[in-house]
Parts: sequence; structure tokens; C-alpha cells
Amino acid sequence: MVKVDGYEVPEGLYYSKDYGWVKIEGDRVRIGITDYAQKQLREIVYAELPSVGTIIKQNEPYGTLESVKAVSDLIAPISGTVEEVNEEVQSKPETLNEDPYEKGWLLVVRPSNLQGELANLMDFNQAVEWHKSLIK
Amino acid sequence: MPRRIVVIGAHAAGVDAASAARKTDRTAEITLITEEKNAGYSRCGLPFVIEGKIPSFKDLIVFTPDYFRMMRLNLKTETKVTKIDTGKKVVETVDKTGKTEEVPYDSLIITTGANAFTPPIKGREKQGILPLRTIEDGERIEQAIRNGAKSAVVMGAGLIGLETAVALQERGLQVTVVEMLPQVLPAMLDPDMAKIVEEMLQHKGIRILTGKPVEEFLGKDKVTGIVAGGEQISADMFVSAFGVRANTQLAVDAGVALGETKLIKTNQRMETNIEDVYAAGDCVESVNMITQRPVVQQLGTVAVRQGKVAGINAAKGYATFPGVIGSAVTKLYDTQIGATGLTETAAKRAGIETVVGAISSKTKADYYPSALPIRVKLVIEKETQRVIGAQIIGGEDVTQRINAISIAIQKQMTVRELSKADTAYAPPLNETWEPFVLAAEIALMKLR
Repeated sequence: MVKVDGYEVPEGLYYSKDYGWVKIEGDRVRIGITDYAQKQLREIVYAELPSVGTIIKQNEPYGTLESVKAVSDLIAPISGTVEEVNEEVQSKPETLNEDPYEKGWLLVVRPSNLQGELANLMDFNQAVEWHKSLIK
Repeated sequence: MPRRIVVIGAHAAGVDAASAARKTDRTAEITLITEEKNAGYSRCGLPFVIEGKIPSFKDLIVFTPDYFRMMRLNLKTETKVTKIDTGKKVVETVDKTGKTEEVPYDSLIITTGANAFTPPIKGREKQGILPLRTIEDGERIEQAIRNGAKSAVVMGAGLIGLETAVALQERGLQVTVVEMLPQVLPAMLDPDMAKIVEEMLQHKGIRILTGKPVEEFLGKDKVTGIVAGGEQISADMFVSAFGVRANTQLAVDAGVALGETKLIKTNQRMETNIEDVYAAGDCVESVNMITQRPVVQQLGTVAVRQGKVAGINAAKGYATFPGVIGSAVTKLYDTQIGATGLTETAAKRAGIETVVGAISSKTKADYYPSALPIRVKLVIEKETQRVIGAQIIGGEDVTQRINAISIAIQKQMTVRELSKADTAYAPPLNETWEPFVLAAEIALMKLR
């Protein structure tokens, strides 16, 4: 993992420019939001997530995060069917601020076109460069 | 069709208005338009960057471009609004390339703020009179220091003036503060409390000249000196901290009514006299909750609270702004200075008869090492015995005492009720008798 101006960017993940991350776990993927995103939103107080079985589409909203002052759509980094939803994040939204890459995961998805869509995402090195451009 | 909300201005009031509008209406198209290059930064932090307490001006940017993107707020920087057409419901803009555009709105929020102001003094057109309102202003002062300025004159002894004076002195400059009124911090403190601050600043090596209006700027093209109260003062740098003037022209040209303070008049929902046009922040007047009179209260805390209310209403929610009490704090060297409500001077001006309770105490138990001095002054309305103001100067813990008394004022507490406040104590944290409770008891004795 590297830190770009205090924002954590772990290795081994794929990243979207809508501040999402994707972790490949066999034939499923785990998705969440980046450290940069949670720091922009600050104390997250509410997470609206889809239920198991929902079909999400890459680059389209699948939920919302709300903090005291901000509200932001969650944009799907990948298409597929929701198989797990992180209930801890729904009952304790501050988990997203505390640990956005591990305990703060949002969904486990069975992707419908993983190989095709990965090309639209950034790998670790690209994500580090992108984070550098964000803080300029 | 989604509601189109346009915000003119993108600082404290503007960003909070846009954020609140987004929270109220998830589908609205929200656009912020600002002339400045940087949006959403803290002006209040500027003196502390110059002082060196904050590493860079960039650190003052509270809302990054990504915040606006995540909130789906369309931000147009370096774009000037040239006209508001309330009939057609459009604002006309021109960007830095000269491109003009008409931006339609369903709701408009005017947060045009205020600009640093130099009164009409002889020679004010000369170069080198530096205000401190924007990041660019801060960078000019920083550059002057790096270019080797050894001395500075700060004109105006309000919050920004004194914070900047301390910053410059900490950077090694010889600093003189010139104030027209007979005391420092005239909007916050009574003369007796201001004297404590003046003596502290003089002890630190800052020269304080009160009761001395600036009469002339000297020098050929560039200012090299001033005349104040008949005295000629030369320096390498001249900081204008006379105050700010609200930017109301754009609104006035569109038919928006001003109040008796010549700032934009709104109702409690931050609506102007024109339907679907709201206003918030330094360009609007507030109602003082104690006197029920319109006042000019250009503070960041007021701007964000008004902005939030304007944003909710512009997005067709419902929220009200109750008015202001006037709570402010600052820190000069190791001294914290806070005030809320009316000073004796302001109360007298409003025709209110007062009694005062004041006490000097400590911030910890008297016997506890490192206890610091603190002085609390309460202003009480004689007729109703209500607490209407407080001023506190101390080594620590000033802000939350001011906040506590501010709430007491807002809830219209009497001094007798305040004297019975159930306060907390432990030797490393407070005196057994909370200083403001003692000040309340002193005021009660005078009311007997």
C-alpha cells in the first residue's frame, strides 16, 4: 500500500474514476469506496445499499452515501448481481471512514462481464498516478 | 424536469447552500459560479498561513473539486455573473476567455460575499496597500515578506487586523497597528477588556495606536508611509484591514431590496423580495436576536448557517434562520479572546440599561500548576435581568464558555438562572466555582 498525500491506495485492487475499488475473489468481486472518497465525504452517517439479487451496471448508481453535510451516489465500478451486502456498514456507517478497504466493503458481486469491464478500470500503478493528479 | 438551482459565489455560504440543496433534492441540477480561481476555501485561515501555523494556502481549501464532483455540483470558476434577469430567470455570465453564457434557474441563491475595503483616504490609489481577503491577497503578503519587508503597518484593529499583525510580528517584522476608534476589537469588546488585549500586544512588541484615523497614504506611486492622527509612519508593508463591504450591486441591479444596513434583506427562510431568489452570507443583513434589529454580522459561522437554510428552501424544503447573537473568538499569541451578544457599548447604543458582572479567575484550581488567568465579563439587561452579552479573555478554554453563554442568551436566561448553572469541575480542568457563575453572582449583587 502507498499513501498519496495521506490518501491510502492499496495494491491488488482495481479502481474506478468514480472513487470505487474492485477486489477479485475467485469468480466473484468485492467492491467499496476509496480512502480518498471517504475523506471527501467526512463522517458518513447513512449508507443506502441495494439488496441481494439486485443487478448493478458499470458506471451507473447503485446506492448513496450520506454524511452530515454531503450526499453522494455510489457508482458501480463493475456490472453483475449482488450476492452479499455489508450489513455492518448499514448499521455502523462510520466503518466506511475507519476502514474503507477492509471492514468497510460494500457489496460482493457476481460479475457479468469481468474481463471486458476490467479494461475500463485502473490498476494499482494507474490509480497511484490518478490520485497524484487529484491532489494537484 | 429536474429543478435548476444556481448559486452565485462558492465559499462558506455558497458551498453550504449547494450542499444543503443537494441533500434536499437529489435530482436537482445545481451550479455554482465564482469569479475566483479557488472555490470553497477558508478565508478565516489566511492569517495563520502567513504566521506559519498552517504550511500552505492550499491547505485552506476545505472543498476540493472532487467534493463538487461527488456531490454532482457543477462548479464554474473564474466566471463572472454580469447580470441577473429575474423576469427570464437566467443569470448572464462571462468566463475568463470572454465567452458569455445564459444560465437558467428555477431557484437562485446569491452568496456574493464581501470585499476588503479601503475608505476614501487621500492617496489610496497608490500601489502596495495589501488587503487580506483571498488566497491571492495572502500570497502577495507572503511575497512581500520574502522580498525582505522589515516593518509593517496594519490599518484596522478588528479580528483580521490583529491576527495579521501577530502573524507578521511572528515572521520577524516590526509591526504597528493603527485604529481609528479609541480601542482594539471595538465590535467585540468594551474598552476595559480591550485594554487587556492592547497591553498584551504591546508587551509582545507590537505598537498599538488607537484613536488615530489614517489621513493620508504617502509615497510617489507606491505607498511608503502613512499619516495617522497627525503622525507620519514609514514602513515596508501596508496591510488594509479596515473591514469589508458587501457585494450587493449585482443583486441591487436585479431589483433585490436592501435593508436598513444596506445589505440584502431576507426573511427567516433567506428569501429576498423577489420570488425564487435567496441570499446568504456576508452580503445579507441579519436580525440580532437580542435587540430584534437588523445588524451587519459578517462571520463565517453565520454564513454557513444562513447558506444551509437558503439551500434547503431553494430546493423546496423548509428551514428557517433564527437570527444572530454575535459570537466570535480569536487567539492572539497565547491569549484567547471571545465575545457573544452585546457589549456594554452596543447595549447603550441600542438604548438598553445594563449592569455588569466581571471577575478574574483561573482556568484550573488555583493550586494546580499551570493554571492560567481568565477574565469573564457578563452584560445583563437591568430591567429583565437577562444575560445579553459576555466577553472572556483567558489562557485557555474561552471558546466553549462563550458557546455556553451564547446558548444562555439564545434561551433568554436570567442572570439568576445562570448563577445556578450546574457546572463541572476537576482541579486540572477548572476552578470549583465556574468563573461565569461567579461573574453572574457579582451582577446579582449589583441588582439587589
